[in-house]
Formats: sequence, structure tokens, C-alpha cells
Amino acid sequence: MSVASIQPTAPEPIIGTAGIPAINLDRVGKNFRLDARREVKAVSDVSMNVGKGAFVAILGPSGCGKSTILRMIASLDEPTKGTLSVLGTTPADCAANHRMGIAFQDHALLPWLTIFDNVALPYRLAHLKADPGRVAQLIDLVGLAGFEKARPKQLSGGMRQRAAIARALLLNPDVLLLDEPFGALDAVTRRQMNVELQRIWSEQRTTTLLVTHSVDEAVFLADRVIVMSGRPGHIIREVAIPFERPRHPDVMRTVEFHHLVNELTEALHPTEGTGAP
Amino acid sequence: MEPEQGVTAEPIDANPLRWLYSIFARFVARFWGVIIILGAWQAWVLISGYNAIVLPPPLSVLHQVATNLGLFAFAGLQTLAVAIIGTVIGMLLGSVAAILAWYSRLFSGLLTPLALIFTAVPAVALVPVIARLLGYDIRTVIAIVAVISFFPSFVFTGSGLRALPPGSADLFRVNGASTWMQLRYLALPAAVPHWMVALRLGAASAVLSAIIAEFAMGTSGLGSVFSEARDSFDMTRALGASLVATIISVIGFLLAISAERIVRDRWD
Repeated sequence: MSVASIQPTAPEPIIGTAGIPAINLDRVGKNFRLDARREVKAVSDVSMNVGKGAFVAILGPSGCGKSTILRMIASLDEPTKGTLSVLGTTPADCAANHRMGIAFQDHALLPWLTIFDNVALPYRLAHLKADPGRVAQLIDLVGLAGFEKARPKQLSGGMRQRAAIARALLLNPDVLLLDEPFGALDAVTRRQMNVELQRIWSEQRTTTLLVTHSVDEAVFLADRVIVMSGRPGHIIREVAIPFERPRHPDVMRTVEFHHLVNELTEALHPTEGTGAP
Repeated sequence: MEPEQGVTAEPIDANPLRWLYSIFARFVARFWGVIIILGAWQAWVLISGYNAIVLPPPLSVLHQVATNLGLFAFAGLQTLAVAIIGTVIGMLLGSVAAILAWYSRLFSGLLTPLALIFTAVPAVALVPVIARLLGYDIRTVIAIVAVISFFPSFVFTGSGLRALPPGSADLFRVNGASTWMQLRYLALPAAVPHWMVALRLGAASAVLSAIIAEFAMGTSGLGSVFSEARDSFDMTRALGASLVATIISVIGFLLAISAERIVRDRWD
């Protein structure tokens, strides 16, 4: 399906030449103040690039600082150290220009709006005239056709996440940020949503950063997986995922897929099952 | 004891009577505990033989209201109108104050103690002060009702503006929403169910505070009917005014509850 390109009004082209990555982190650190004397290091010395049109997954156990990295990229937190740029500018600039789409573990749908109005919300926030055709197209793309007039409470958890993803894609964002979007779903629904997201992404090819603790999810969806470890959060491994796109769910049954999953699981828990110190 | 024959039997009398009766029937269904107390009261008066100045029986209070419908309806509507206007003004001011406090910490620091002080002062003590400022008429009554409904509106709207769906504040920030957008599309809609709670609380106390002010001023409404009747030892009429006030209060409260239920149904 071709999705009409509706770019938010941008005063000047923010995306520079191919030399500038969509997301760039240079020795980024983040400390959180607990009280007057104590500070906790959430992220330390993280450098990474996400190229334009790439799908990168950050994989790690809970508390490893992966969500903190995503929140800094999303302009929701400020780095304490290092520099961070999105589309060659600051995250705050990107947010103000409506260039980022985001979906969290909380669907963050507004309970008083219909699914249609929830998906159309970014138009309002960006002072853009709503294009009902585009909204309907995205609702169709995420498989929610027929539920436009429903309210969030009438939908299942998986359907709410679909609506949240449709909303994130509405303005054709230059960067799509996904923070455990399927973290609250059951295993079956989660796998199904991964297949759906892969299909949607293969059609849109939006630069995407996914934060997850599921190895399967990261390997199935991403071009590159960055593995993090906690206290303080830092990168321990980067693995390129070679599968062709669009990826068929059968990929998950191949030996190569399992090999990658094992390798990444091993990277996450180095001593597990080996008996090594 | 004979009821006064001031305003009596007009041809349309049967309908309002039936209407009153149906409300009374619903009242019985909901508040049978109250009915038992009334029954005990009636029995007590019959057995003890107290005269009407000491304690009129509830049935003659009902009779008093039924035979003076015009008087009580006029006073009741006056009180109701004052209660509604006062509540609307108080809730608007409370909401605006809550929005200002949401917008800026400076306003919050200024308004919160002021609101607390205002609510801590008894309404009766406010009457002479406000009457001196606004004049000894209905405006003072409206102002008293407004002052009393201001506080719940300020507190509940304030907490409602901050009771956002999980993740929605982050979503708005990443989508580059201005402060105005956050207020218009997130905080204000999120506050609506809380605002309905304030309306319910306001509706319950609005008629009461209107009557207190009317009683103190003695110029209009059920409060002055009560005060005049009491001065002439007509306790039956005084209690009739109380009965009408109670009925109006309960109806207002029930309407506010069902409005709140409808809103909650849509919001949650």
C-alpha cells in the first residue's frame, strides 16, 4: 500500500546529506539525582548511530538504561554528559517540528476520544488540517478498520497498541521511537504484533529505534541489535541482522535465527548455563 | 391547627400535587430510613401532645406545603435560582483559579492559601462582610453560594488537571504540543470527571448555603420564609420551608450524580 506523504511544514530541510545519521549519540551519560547527596548513573558513555531508514533495536534487561536512552532521544530527558543529535539537530527541535513519532508500553490513548480521533490527534497538536483519508488509511494499515468509532476501553490490549502505532506513524515521522510497545501483551499477541509491525515497517521504512527486552522481537524486527548491560547502562555488543525484507514469520524457525537469538541471549547473560566464573 | 388560606386551590392544582407526590414516592423508595424517622416523629407528637409551636407533626408540615404551594414554589424557585447562579459562578471561578495554578507555580502559591482561608471561614461570618461590600440583597446570597462552591471546584479541577492518562503527557511533549494544546486537549478533558465530583458536592451544599445566606439577610427565598415564620412562632411553616429546601437539595444532588455517572461512563 502506498501511503500518501504528508510532511509537516518544515522551515528548512533538517535531514542533511547521507553523512548525517538520523540519530547520533556521542559518549552520552545520564545521572539521576536521588536526593541532595546521592546520584545514580543510569547511562554511561554510550555512543551509537542510527542511519536514515534503519531499524535498530536496543536490547537489555530491565533497569539497564535503554529506556533512558530512548527518552533522551525523544526530548523527554536531558543527557548529563556527551552530545546527542536527532536529524542533525536537538531532540527538542525535532519534537517542536513534529518530526518524531512515539509509542510506549502504555498505549497513552485518550479515553474520551474515539480511535479515529486518537489516531488523528497529532494533526491537532501540529496545527495541521486533519486529512481523514490518511487517518482511515493508517487505521486500515494497522488492521483496525471498522473500529474507528470505538473507544479505547472497548478494544483489547493488542488493538490499543495498534492504534498507538498508527498514531505514531500519522505525520510520516522522520524518526519512530518504540519503547517496549508490546511489553504488556501476552506472548501470542506479542508475536502477532511483531509480524504486523514488520509488515508495516517494510512498507514505510521509517527510521526506527525499538527498545525491548525480548531477544526474538529484536532479532525479527531489527537490522541491527545493540545489547546493553546495566549499572550503569552501557553497550556491550552490536550485532547486524542479515535477513531480507520483507521478513516472513517463517524466518523465526530458521537455524540462523535461532543461532542469533542464542548468541544475543548469551551476550545478555554471559555466565548462564556455562558454569564459567 | 388550621393552615392559612393565603394561596389556594387553582384549577391546575392537581397536577403539581401529583408531580410532588411522584417525587415523594421516589423519595420514599430511596430514603425509607428517613421515612421511619418521620413516622416516629409523627407518633411522638401524637403521643406526647406537644403543641405546634414546640414541635409540629410532619403531616401538618406536608399539609402546610400542599396548601401554600404558590408561596413555597415561589420562594423555592428563588432559592434554587440563586443556588444555581451562585454555583455556576463559584465553579467557574474555581476552575479558572485551578487552571492558573496549573499554569504557573506562582499562581499556585498565591491561590492555594487564599482558597483555604476562604473555605475555613464560616459562611455566616462572611455574610455581613459580603453584604457590606455588595449590598443587602440577592447579590450577597449569590456571592455566598459562589464562595462555598469555589473551593471544591478549585481542589477537584486542580487534581483533575494533573490526573492524566498514563504516558499521555510524554506523548504530547514528543509531538511538540504547546502549553495551550496540553491544556486544551489533555488537561481540561482529563479534569472533566473530577469537575463533575465538584459539581456533585456543590449541588449538595448550594441550596443549604443559599438558605443560610437568605436566613441571615431575611430578604428573599426559603431562608427568609423560614426566618419570618420562626419569628411569628409558625413552626409548621418554618419546617415547611425546610422540607421544600430538602426536596430541592436532594433532587439537585441526584441530578448531579446521574450527570456524573454519564460523564464517567464516557471518560473511563
